[in-house]
Amino acid sequence: MRNIQNSNSGQSNKKDTQSVLLYMSSLGIVMLGVAYAGVPLYRIFCQQMGLGGVYVQEINEKKVATMKPVEDRVIKVRFEADASSRLQWNFRPLQAEVNVKPGETALAFFTARNSTDKPVVGISTYNIIPYEAGPYFNKIQCFCFEDQLLNPKEQVDLPVFFYIDPEMADDPSLENVDEILLSYIFYPSKQGFQVPAPNFLQPKNATVT
Amino acid sequence: MAINQPRVKQRPPLKGSFPLDHEGECKEEIKKFMKCLEQHDSNHGECRHASKAYLQCRMDKNLMTKEEWWKLGYRDNVVDNKQNGC
Repeated sequence: MRNIQNSNSGQSNKKDTQSVLLYMSSLGIVMLGVAYAGVPLYRIFCQQMGLGGVYVQEINEKKVATMKPVEDRVIKVRFEADASSRLQWNFRPLQAEVNVKPGETALAFFTARNSTDKPVVGISTYNIIPYEAGPYFNKIQCFCFEDQLLNPKEQVDLPVFFYIDPEMADDPSLENVDEILLSYIFYPSKQGFQVPAPNFLQPKNATVT
Repeated sequence: MAINQPRVKQRPPLKGSFPLDHEGECKEEIKKFMKCLEQHDSNHGECRHASKAYLQCRMDKNLMTKEEWWKLGYRDNVVDNKQNGC
């Protein structure tokens, strides 16, 4: 009896071990698969959620390098400049507007002058009108969200290098939009001060001026 | 460089901030670009070579990280036709 039991249990032990091994290796293969699939899935997720990080950077760099201008859609980008009254800077755009095609990188300038006798640090944010066009307005390089120091009586030119995403031409809700207003605002930069996010990134129920 | 780390979504520019041109080293290129815009009814498409010249100036003066033009959206066939008067 014992022998039979032993041999039975011996066989079932072997089967158990085999099952466990099979199970473990299957699990391993599945996890490996998830890890590989995870990378492109994560990129898509990050892009949709607008989360920062290297994946969004790569996607956007690739877009700039490969996008084609939308020849039959010209957008007039108008420029506005504002400075908080607590910041004694003269801040204005150098050009009132530029006509650009979505998918074509473009340059524009603002200028700022510190009219005081002391160095002043400002920090800027911007708004896009209409709000719905905001997600299509991409800045490659500019001067926002970082401290900018102007020396006493100094004037500097402030470039904005941007493009309008060609996908804007495919968005039916923007079919009739042929003007976009880019409005910059400078604030004095102070410890603990948080410059407001651009209007189109605010929660939708916040009041937008 | 910012005193504050923004906690809200800021959507910073792809390549960050341009260093300030305190010495006005590329002022001439700005003037040429602005003149071109004036002459072409603010049509930026006619002035891409002038915008490229400004960015080239920045790169030459270490006011911008050197980057290949195609990565900045300038492809040879688009820009090499110099417009007269620009």
